[in-house]
Amino acid sequence: MKKWFLLSLVLLLSILAACGNTEDSEEQADSTTDQEETEQSGESTESENEEAATEKIGGEVNLYTGRHYETDQELYDTFTEQTGVKVNVIKGDDDELIARLAREGEASQADLLITADAGRLYRAQSQDLLQSVDSDVLNENVPENLREENGQWFGLTKRARIIAYNKETVNAEDIQTYMDLTKDEFQDKVLIRSSSNIYNQSLLASMIALEGEEKAKEWAEGIVDNMARDPKGGDRDQAKAVVAGEGDVAVMNTYYLGKLINSEDPEEVKVGEQLGVIFPNQDSTGAHVNISGIGMTASSKNNEQAQALMEFLTTEEAQKQFAEANYEYPVNPNVEASELLQSWGEFKAQDINLAELGENNDAAIKIMNEVGWK
Amino acid sequence: MKLFRKLPGYANIWSWLSLMIVVLILMPNITILLNFFTEKAENWGHIQEFILPDLLKNTSLLMVFTGVLSILIGTSLAWLVSAYDFPMKRFFKWALILPLAIPPYIAGYTYNGILNYTGVIQTTLRNQWGIEVDQKYFDILTLPGAVFIFTLFLFPYVYTITRAFLANQSASIVENARLLGRNAWEVYFRIVLPISRGAIVGGVSLVLLEVLNDYGLVQYFGVPTFSTAIFQTWFGMNDLTSAIKLSATLMFIVFGILILEKVLRGRKKYSYASAKVRPLTPVRLKGVKAWTAFSYAFVIFSLGFLIPFIQLVDWMFLTFDKIASPEFTSLLTNSLLVSFVGAAMIVVFAVIIANFARMHQSIVSKSAARVTILGYSIPGAVIAVGISTVFIQIDQWLFGFYDWVGMDPTLVLSTSLFMLISAYVIRFLAIGYNSIESGFDKVGHQFTEASRMLGMNVTQTFFKVDARMIRGSLISGFILAFIEILKELPLTLILRPFNFDTLSTKAFQYASDEQIHEASLASIIIVIISGIAIYIFHQVLEKEPN
Amino acid sequence: MYIQIKDLCFRYGNSKMNTIRNFNLSVNQGQIVSILGESGSGKSTILRLLCGLETPSQGVISIGGKTVTDDRSFVLPEKRGIGMVFQDYALFPHMTVAENIQFGLKGFGRKAKKQRVEEVLDLVNMKDFSKRYPHELSGGQQQRIALARALAPKPSLLLLDEPFSNLDADLQIKIRSELRDIIKKTGITSIFVTHDREDSKAIADRIITMRDGSAYDWDSICTIKSEFPEEQPMTIS
Repeated sequence: MKKWFLLSLVLLLSILAACGNTEDSEEQADSTTDQEETEQSGESTESENEEAATEKIGGEVNLYTGRHYETDQELYDTFTEQTGVKVNVIKGDDDELIARLAREGEASQADLLITADAGRLYRAQSQDLLQSVDSDVLNENVPENLREENGQWFGLTKRARIIAYNKETVNAEDIQTYMDLTKDEFQDKVLIRSSSNIYNQSLLASMIALEGEEKAKEWAEGIVDNMARDPKGGDRDQAKAVVAGEGDVAVMNTYYLGKLINSEDPEEVKVGEQLGVIFPNQDSTGAHVNISGIGMTASSKNNEQAQALMEFLTTEEAQKQFAEANYEYPVNPNVEASELLQSWGEFKAQDINLAELGENNDAAIKIMNEVGWK
Repeated sequence: MKLFRKLPGYANIWSWLSLMIVVLILMPNITILLNFFTEKAENWGHIQEFILPDLLKNTSLLMVFTGVLSILIGTSLAWLVSAYDFPMKRFFKWALILPLAIPPYIAGYTYNGILNYTGVIQTTLRNQWGIEVDQKYFDILTLPGAVFIFTLFLFPYVYTITRAFLANQSASIVENARLLGRNAWEVYFRIVLPISRGAIVGGVSLVLLEVLNDYGLVQYFGVPTFSTAIFQTWFGMNDLTSAIKLSATLMFIVFGILILEKVLRGRKKYSYASAKVRPLTPVRLKGVKAWTAFSYAFVIFSLGFLIPFIQLVDWMFLTFDKIASPEFTSLLTNSLLVSFVGAAMIVVFAVIIANFARMHQSIVSKSAARVTILGYSIPGAVIAVGISTVFIQIDQWLFGFYDWVGMDPTLVLSTSLFMLISAYVIRFLAIGYNSIESGFDKVGHQFTEASRMLGMNVTQTFFKVDARMIRGSLISGFILAFIEILKELPLTLILRPFNFDTLSTKAFQYASDEQIHEASLASIIIVIISGIAIYIFHQVLEKEPN
Repeated sequence: MYIQIKDLCFRYGNSKMNTIRNFNLSVNQGQIVSILGESGSGKSTILRLLCGLETPSQGVISIGGKTVTDDRSFVLPEKRGIGMVFQDYALFPHMTVAENIQFGLKGFGRKAKKQRVEEVLDLVNMKDFSKRYPHELSGGQQQRIALARALAPKPSLLLLDEPFSNLDADLQIKIRSELRDIIKKTGITSIFVTHDREDSKAIADRIITMRDGSAYDWDSICTIKSEFPEEQPMTIS
């Protein structure tokens, strides 16, 4: 017994030792006076965007974010180096962060809210939790349909909800629209995750916006009829199920497929490579696109710093990093998507104001409940 | 008139502190319930028609099967380990508690990772022997799959409590039954199960409360239960009132379980306080029987700990270079800090209430004792909202004061660790309380009374006598609360201050984004620390004199 | 009168009937009184009420001229200065014999403490056992230590709850007279509770029998026999 105890202790210590090998982390987080370090990053930034890069503002900015990626933290660090503004972060679920913001009201310390879904931004907006930001930089960097018209929120990255198919069993010609998923030939062949997932809710919400509730409900019914199995797992699990032969087609977000193809696990890479990508509805309404985006809170007390960070995140430098690291599409039209995404080709996106995703979210959930989409 | 007589007995620090703690626990719950009356539930009809039937079905299936299976596994192992000697028994005695070190949702992700198409089993079959299997047989993302995970990772609650009972309380009854010529199976089913009813019910109700509270696992497995529905109506439909109605329905079920526990346990306590206890002498098993016993324990231990642990270690090596960073040192410190402070406060609070409750056998003290369970019975996210509402309100009252001491009138308390730790206390007080209450039960009143007759007041008596005598319970209460806080997720996620990450938020950050491989490092550290804590817990229990 | 109990009533939280009904008793200083009764007669409850471990619903108790319980006031047990020997002795298992005895000696200096411990150990003939732990002692030895511990702070009243119930029969007879000697030596007023008439006869100056929560004072043993039949069904204790 003693041996076990020692063994685990040694294991724990060795993990920690390995983690602590590199230099201390505290310094990176707390860098209000990092003037020397700006030189290192200076070369890559100066050319891109003067407004954000050169000015030293100082102070701090408080951020609630529903995005949990390592790369985001790197971007904040770069921002701190360039501007001297310390970025304080609370990561959480989109919904809970909004609920927290609402409870804190005027007194909230948060200056910025980032969520991984436009519907959520709309919800924050409709609860008067956000304020308008009028910035030429933002208006220029973010296309009109990916931001709220009054500047309440701005997209940072976008992702398309696509159909992934098994290259061996499916002829891509047969499945060109979301509606095709409900065709008889895909009876028991469709893989899609549960209705509690926001991406599915937003997809259905976009259909309600484009084609009306009745059509949307018909589609949802068709999907439920054609499901290969009860909805479960994440987007990656749907992809694996296609390759495993449980079904033929899966609905998933682009970046999950990107991550599969670039996984550490060679088996996952194999899965990714066996899948083909279809951008649906190219001849009609376009593929469903959602964003992760940012808005300044109504209670913000560090408006200048907050706006600087918003602007920084839409610069070409930052957008490039979003695109490369996380297989998302940059919103800044001057930045190219990652090579992998480019290999899937250009696509036409739904032409709706993303706020409509939020407006129709309730209706979408109710439809899903009514048709028995678990 | 009676009041004057009773007052001196109540007028001590224990009563006042108990009262304060009770108020602290009740406040967030009351804020939630107040909403119940102020707002109209727009979607309740819709929920009743389309969601509720499924919820009730899933929830009851999960509870019944997880309950029955954890009783079977928990008690049979407890019996095996207490009554027999077989190879490696001393190791299994505590190793069988280890599954508690792995949070069910991590276990769920891990098992799916093992069994799915790219998992080690199917990959080996496919690449080594070219065998393609039917996914049906490897699909764990189902209701039975959820039962499997819940059972394997929660049965130790039943196991631990039952074993403690059997080891100390059952010797004479069991030996009598043996002398009367009953065989092992008869003894187990006709003696062991019935006499340890109280302990079993106590353990299984903890299991069921955990099942009801779980969000991560059922959500990933696609088995909607109350907690997922509460989230969906609240956040998805933006209908707080319906969410609260669902919570209230859930609380109703919980109170049902608690009442059932009371009824089933009857007037029996976990232990017969002053009875002379004699440990059960184990029978040495030989040959096939010994190895059967060993295999059974080993299979459960492997499924509940070894296999997922090895898989996590494997994934850790896969992603170590990408993930490991100096940040983990601060994650570890943060986790240890909140777990330590939280568990310490839980023990202090639990002692105060437990001591108050046993000094005064009145309705007031009994209700105080019942209140401790409140936090454990409500989904974490619901508590989180209640707590932050209360703290924000307090902050707003204090704005004048902050101004007066020269601070900005902003949210101070509600953005501090203080709020998070209070939340832990409210949530896990029941765990500390149960352990300490049973400690007090075991000791009884006589030593306390003796001390008071020798001129010590309640507080002196507590420090000089009671605290020493229930030391084992204090330590095990601390350790159990420590492990729970270390694994805790929803409260930490939503109530933490800026720039504050813990191991469990880190694990969740990856897992929620379907990067289970990347989540393994943080998970493993949680598992190892919990494992060490469980080992210490076991040692404490073993040394405990009776 | 040294101890006065008037119209005492008491009921346990979970029972419907009063356990003690209008109980009256007066005791002279230095007297050894035995309360004799079967299980459930409420005799132990009287002791618990006297020392303040239970609160009566009505009635007055005064000890040494000081009122400890009436409608208006209630003195906490630790303030009453009463010594008690519990039925199962309740020696603190985590303390040695000496530490157990010292426990009640608040406000004594270090030397005075040591001296007092020796005195009482001497009194109960247990001088050589001061370093032992309770579980290293026999039943009779434990009882003597419990007595020493109760006597050490020089209480104004000594209560003994079934002092012999945990002892073997022959030991019981030996200790009875020893106990009376020790108590008489200190001259302390004592009340002890028992279900055994022989105990009462051997030790007490005066015997009270209790039935259904009330007291009957008897001085002659023959009356006890007729009024206190030997075989009666047990009631809840």
